[in-house]
Amino acid sequence: MKVAQTKTVTTPGEHTETELALQGLWRVVVLNDPVNLMSYVVMVFKKIFGFDEPTARRHMLEVHEQGRSVVWIGLREKAEAYAFSLQEWHLTAMIEPDEKN
Amino acid sequence: MKRIEVKLSLSVVAPLLDVIKSTVDDLGGSLAAPSTLRDVDEELRATWMDGLLASQTGDCRTLLALFDREFFANGVIAFDESNAEAIVRACAAVRLRLRERHLKTLEDDVLESGNVEISDLPEPQRKAFMCYLFLATIQELIIQHLDSSIIES
Repeated sequence: MKVAQTKTVTTPGEHTETELALQGLWRVVVLNDPVNLMSYVVMVFKKIFGFDEPTARRHMLEVHEQGRSVVWIGLREKAEAYAFSLQEWHLTAMIEPDEKN
Repeated sequence: MKRIEVKLSLSVVAPLLDVIKSTVDDLGGSLAAPSTLRDVDEELRATWMDGLLASQTGDCRTLLALFDREFFANGVIAFDESNAEAIVRACAAVRLRLRERHLKTLEDDVLESGNVEISDLPEPQRKAFMCYLFLATIQELIIQHLDSSIIES
């Protein structure tokens, strides 16, 4: 009978760095587009994030005037879910690491 | 259930349906909004794109279903909480693709302000722009009357 030998190889550096990056905080960012109506963007923000009207309008105006707005910051998995929902509504949304954290 | 019925002019809207249909066909295997998935790994990206495409396809099917036999008989289309969300999203997808394919020559600020002299546009572009405006009107109507149904659904 042949006994399988096991060998453990550890490569801590790269893996730990990736894990930490994934565990850190992520931003959900919406970028401007010239097509979607302002009222549509406000409605989408209210629906997806539960924003009240003034908050949704503030983010919409930030997108419109500054080209982007950070609409949410938190853990990666939830950030991905929010970005997916925003893209499902055809907004240009992305996630990026929150460098402040 | 809240329901809105809108009577449209068949002679105005019917010619736009070909543009909507061909744009929906064009959307077939691609997303209307640009993909921004730089920080997402490849496996998740594929699942993500498939999910978005399935959603977009379903929404467009609901939009096209508005223009059924009843519409051609009496010009009426109807929205309620069962179709409003899909239609308002499909309108966004079709408008984005119309912009990309037919209205690229219009500057962003011109398009946003709506200050376009329709009679100055060449024929294929004129029809695309009419369609772009028509779909925006549908979105406005739905948002104005069914906004709370969509937000709470």
